Amino acid sequence: MVRFWTLYIVLTAIAMAQNVDYGRDVRPILSENCFHCHGQDENKRMANFRLDIPGDARTTRILERITADLKSPRRMPPVYSNRSLTTQQIATIEGWLRQGAKTSQHWAFVAPKRPTPPLSNIHPIDAFALTRLRAEGLAFNQPAGAAAWLRRVSLDLTGLPPTPAELDAFTRTVPTERAYAAAVDRLLASSAYGERMAMDWLDVARYADTHGFNNDSSRSMWRWRDWVIESFNRNQSYDQFITEQLAGDLLPNPTLDQRIATGYGRNHVINSEGGIIDEEYRVEYVVDRVRTLGMSWLGLTVECARCHDHKFDPITQRDHYRFFAFFNNVAEVGEDGRVANAVPMISAPTREQQKQLAALTAEVERLQRSKPFVDVKQQSSAPASAVWAFSGLATEQQKTTAIPVSKREPMTIAGWLKRTAADTDVALVSNIRHEYNPADVSYGRGIELRIAGSELEFLYADRLPAYAIHLRTKSANIQPDVWHHITAIYEGVGGRDPEMRAHAAWVRIFVDGRELATQVLNDGLSIPDDKTKPSPTTFRIGWDNKRDSARFQGEFDDLQIFIQTLSPLQISALSASKHRQPGYRGPSPQIEAARAKLLVLERSMPTVMVMQELDKTRETHILTRGAYDAPGEMVEPGVPEALLGAWPTGAPRNRLGLAQWLTKPDHPLTARVVVNRFWQQLFGVGLVKTSENFGLQGESPSHPELLDWLAIEFIDSGWNVKALLKQIVLSQVYRQDSNAPADLYARDPENRLLARGPRFRLPAEIIRDQALFASGILSHQRIGGPSVFPYQNEDLYKGIVVAADYPSTKWVASTGDDLHRRSLYTFWKRTVPHPTMTVFDAPDREFCIVRRSNTNTPMQSLTLLNDPIYVEAARKLAERALREGGTKPIAYAFRLAAGRSPDADEIAILERTLKTARSIFAKDELSAYAAVTTMILNLDEVITK
Amino acid sequence: MTRRDLLTRSGYGLGAAALHALLAPEAQAAFPNHKPKAKRVIFLFQAGGPSQIDLFDHKPFIKDRFDQDIPTSIFGGQRVTGMVANQARFPVAPSMYEFKQHGQSGQWLSDRLPHTAKVADELCVLRAMHTEAINHDPAITLLQTGNQLPGRPCMGSWVDYGLGSENQNLPAFVVLHSLPSNGQPDQGLLTRLWGSGFLPSRYQGVQFRNGGDPVLHLSNPPGVTRDLRRAQLDGIAALNNKLYARAGDPEIETRIAQYEMAFRMQTAVPELSDVSKEPDHIYELYGPDARKPGSFAANCILARRLAERNVRFIQLYHRGWDHHGGLTEKLPPLARDTDQPAAALIQDLKQRGMLDDTLVIWGGEFGRTPYAQGPLKRDSYGRDHHGRVFSIWMAGGGVKRGISHGASDDYGFNVAEGGVHVHDLQATILHLLGIDHQKLTFLFQGRQYRLTDVDGSVVREILA
Repeated sequence: MVRFWTLYIVLTAIAMAQNVDYGRDVRPILSENCFHCHGQDENKRMANFRLDIPGDARTTRILERITADLKSPRRMPPVYSNRSLTTQQIATIEGWLRQGAKTSQHWAFVAPKRPTPPLSNIHPIDAFALTRLRAEGLAFNQPAGAAAWLRRVSLDLTGLPPTPAELDAFTRTVPTERAYAAAVDRLLASSAYGERMAMDWLDVARYADTHGFNNDSSRSMWRWRDWVIESFNRNQSYDQFITEQLAGDLLPNPTLDQRIATGYGRNHVINSEGGIIDEEYRVEYVVDRVRTLGMSWLGLTVECARCHDHKFDPITQRDHYRFFAFFNNVAEVGEDGRVANAVPMISAPTREQQKQLAALTAEVERLQRSKPFVDVKQQSSAPASAVWAFSGLATEQQKTTAIPVSKREPMTIAGWLKRTAADTDVALVSNIRHEYNPADVSYGRGIELRIAGSELEFLYADRLPAYAIHLRTKSANIQPDVWHHITAIYEGVGGRDPEMRAHAAWVRIFVDGRELATQVLNDGLSIPDDKTKPSPTTFRIGWDNKRDSARFQGEFDDLQIFIQTLSPLQISALSASKHRQPGYRGPSPQIEAARAKLLVLERSMPTVMVMQELDKTRETHILTRGAYDAPGEMVEPGVPEALLGAWPTGAPRNRLGLAQWLTKPDHPLTARVVVNRFWQQLFGVGLVKTSENFGLQGESPSHPELLDWLAIEFIDSGWNVKALLKQIVLSQVYRQDSNAPADLYARDPENRLLARGPRFRLPAEIIRDQALFASGILSHQRIGGPSVFPYQNEDLYKGIVVAADYPSTKWVASTGDDLHRRSLYTFWKRTVPHPTMTVFDAPDREFCIVRRSNTNTPMQSLTLLNDPIYVEAARKLAERALREGGTKPIAYAFRLAAGRSPDADEIAILERTLKTARSIFAKDELSAYAAVTTMILNLDEVITK
Repeated sequence: MTRRDLLTRSGYGLGAAALHALLAPEAQAAFPNHKPKAKRVIFLFQAGGPSQIDLFDHKPFIKDRFDQDIPTSIFGGQRVTGMVANQARFPVAPSMYEFKQHGQSGQWLSDRLPHTAKVADELCVLRAMHTEAINHDPAITLLQTGNQLPGRPCMGSWVDYGLGSENQNLPAFVVLHSLPSNGQPDQGLLTRLWGSGFLPSRYQGVQFRNGGDPVLHLSNPPGVTRDLRRAQLDGIAALNNKLYARAGDPEIETRIAQYEMAFRMQTAVPELSDVSKEPDHIYELYGPDARKPGSFAANCILARRLAERNVRFIQLYHRGWDHHGGLTEKLPPLARDTDQPAAALIQDLKQRGMLDDTLVIWGGEFGRTPYAQGPLKRDSYGRDHHGRVFSIWMAGGGVKRGISHGASDDYGFNVAEGGVHVHDLQATILHLLGIDHQKLTFLFQGRQYRLTDVDGSVVREILA
């Protein structure tokens, strides 16, 4: 005890002599140890005493409690809490109390103001950094060599190393400032820049190619991923980047791109496990959106307030559910995504497809101007044989005979119908059993053709609404009291590879002999394996068995069902067979052929999941303890205005308004959080190390003024990302040599003081891309496209993935160039991510990650030495070195990978192994060199920037 | 030779920082908190939800209530899955299997577990486990990570993080998996079940595979001999050392050491997985499947070999227990897959004197309903997921021998006494390893997280 007091007195004296800063020194101690019971959470608050806000006189008396005997019940924090204060912390608190116990708002909740750089003769970034260094008795390290800087900046901005030619061009003479700037401009202008920037954002936005959970089937979100790449490449202003992802669909007349951008809100995991409770998971998705919003742009752990008021930050549970309300209005279901995208989704043609669409549309329009209709020869009989037929009024509860149907086999419904004006939404042909409990796993199983107003709808479902094909015609124009001929074809597998599911593209709908464009509302039907036999089923004609649903009032003629597809010619003949006035002119085969091309293209277009508002707003309630089935008080969408700034005047109370609020120039967090993450990308550690948490439990910034300066500069530049990065990579801070004395590394292992250049192991993607690039086999010209399947051990999924035949339960390696695409295009299966990525700390992307760990393990060594992709890269690097390296292949290969020439010593070491390898491989010179290039690709220097 | 000796003798004069990073990178000096009873854990995880009603939980009361409705007072607010949402009734389905008491302890077990019956006196059967999750993914994630949703570190990663490794040539946390002999594994597993969540990824479990390289990329590529590999590694180390002299970054030293460990793993792992020298009587002990690579039995032998080498956390996944329908056809082969090997593992560990400090656990993410799902006959029924009460067993490693803890009610529907929540189980496992579950924490996003979330208490009654 005597020792304690001696130490304590000394420490208090020190604390007294220094100015104790509440935000920097005291609040972190109180937050970690006291706020849990004496903070804003009313339910946990003890003794009705709050320490997190000023005003309670008892604050001045806490010293007595925190220094009470450990055995005393008065001791704070109590022993049972598993928290305790160190002597140093107690001294700090006493220092603070003696200096008047002044409090201040947490720095991150106060809007940044442009600070004046402390030195005027150097760039502000350097001025802030150097001032801090001087205070520590340090100075900038020497600048890195020109080649070392070029390698660093190339890897940072494009994820690819500089080529020997680029190195030569840059280092031929001592580069001027202008040369440095030009190099940066070149890198920022390359399309590889967008790919590099997207890499980090995909972690934050939890992008993946599968849905997660134990079925973990495929989804298609790559159009969103490509939107991200394009956005960075065209240097879209970052406030727009935020706005379009949060609320692109709510902008006036949103473009396709703006709607695709909202995929950000749908990248979360989606559960298709049979039998889950829909609402439980729908709520999880909304919670995930709030969490991701918090981590992406607010730097706050908003989701901590899901079950109770936040323990540390002034975020209440009510605040959480007001954020929740913005994202609670999506037309989605909890259980979805068993074989493909979950609703809501849109068709998302690629740029190339958009061009083709425009051309084909123009062609159709051109043809239509000239000769829209032609004589069609009337035919009296159907050329195909139906398994069932009916004519007349469907007045009774009309049913078909038993018809064998199978998802693998074709089926066609064709016939004449005359609807009455009263028919607005009725089933024409249906075997869906609507009377089941919608919570049941097979609710809604069956096939249905409906008429909805003047449009037709086709459904083929395992479970409604999620596991179904669901389409609606775009312009059927079925008029009351007029005979129309309709045809709905489900083609079945045919000769195609079904890719483990049925496809909406197999459905084609014709009215009066013309095939119609359709809108795909859902495309999520699984397909059983080949063994399944067709099962006989009867269809209801003109009615479904939903309670209170309407009966078809009109008339059918020659309504037939075929167990085969019909050709356009057959359909054309059928539609001209009856109910036509003499001189009837049908659609022109020439135009129909052109339209068919257009429709084939439309059916081939990828889809993407998007945010889409329900017509009727879903109520949001505070959920007691966060539970989906315990709704409490109702809340409206809103933000913690008192804490983080007022709602913008006139902004709508929806996601668009939320985006406007986030991007207000005086928002205290958004710009800081964003520039900090870019800093982290370049330096390995953010100015705020806890880049995911700027709240009370986050770390204080190492350079608060620099952070604020960057944030303000960023906003003032119009949220210009390229301009921001350019300033940083041209700064002296960034240009420093990363080699430093071991004692500096020991003193400042994470380089928080910025006394040296950044040095850390490259991210997984860049390690692989660099190896492939150096060896000349990286396929990096093509940007974007569907995700690819590079080599992966064949039996990696064996024994792990779900036993059902769902997409992405098998890994079939790509062919050709797709084996060597950049790593960000690697198919990302959440429950079994590619090991070449995860071994170097790539996350599984099950939820938002803003900071990867950076580990150093033996499994990484085994990967770089033995993984087939690295074995191949080493071999190709050897080939290239022997081909292009002249008399010095080893030095050439070294330079390709490390961005510098090796010294004589290094050459000697590599040649020694070459000698051993030659003795083993005898005349196989390539294999001997590959043994050496393997070493090069394994060097710490090569996998580190 | 101590671990430290081994490292310093690896020839590259490791610095203190690298050495520390290698041995116990984040390990906290605070652990163990108390003297551990178990040095290692073998978790025989039965994925899908084995039917406790047909294996462990003897319910004579419902024997005479075949096809009667579960009373509302018992059913309570049970959340039912979509699988039975359409079911009009929840009729009692008594087990068709015979139950008997076994050993001196008189443990109740069904006739599907004849071998387990022989080690009944070694078992501590927890008969009132419970979980709030009702579907596989959340339930299995809760059991392995303490939370129903993805993102948290799993049990093995927490243990590795807290205690570090005892073996310099092998990972501290190894995962094995087997397929059921009936070829119906049902649900998928998820690498997150052995993932490190927000802990640094070095703590993730290393998955041993059943075919090819037991560890991914363990073997050198064709043509690369061990001598050549040695020469390459010497060269890499020499170059990395030169770099270290210039660059000053201690990570370089760690990397050098990791390459050495990789090299040692290349010998240690094949040596470990080579079961060809196991004597015949061992194969006989583990049963007819023991010679089939990748079977549960073969993996149990492998698990013992890992335990012998002080691998700290060994997870063995067996899938296929999800018997919604046709349980009476599907359960017997599953029981056969695991019964003899699991019992053999206990006997084998015991005869080697390792059972006392090895904790063996057998159990799944939840149990199954005492009511039928789908058509019900005396000898043919299915059962839905049931989290309100189920059974698992533990053996060795500091738990009492030959006891049952807790009980379900007469219907086998709810906990009657001695309920053990998943978090309690986790707290108890950590306790046996010498860890106070409330102290093993990691600061993430401003909050101290732990395996047991905000709950969990050690089940003191079962501690030996």
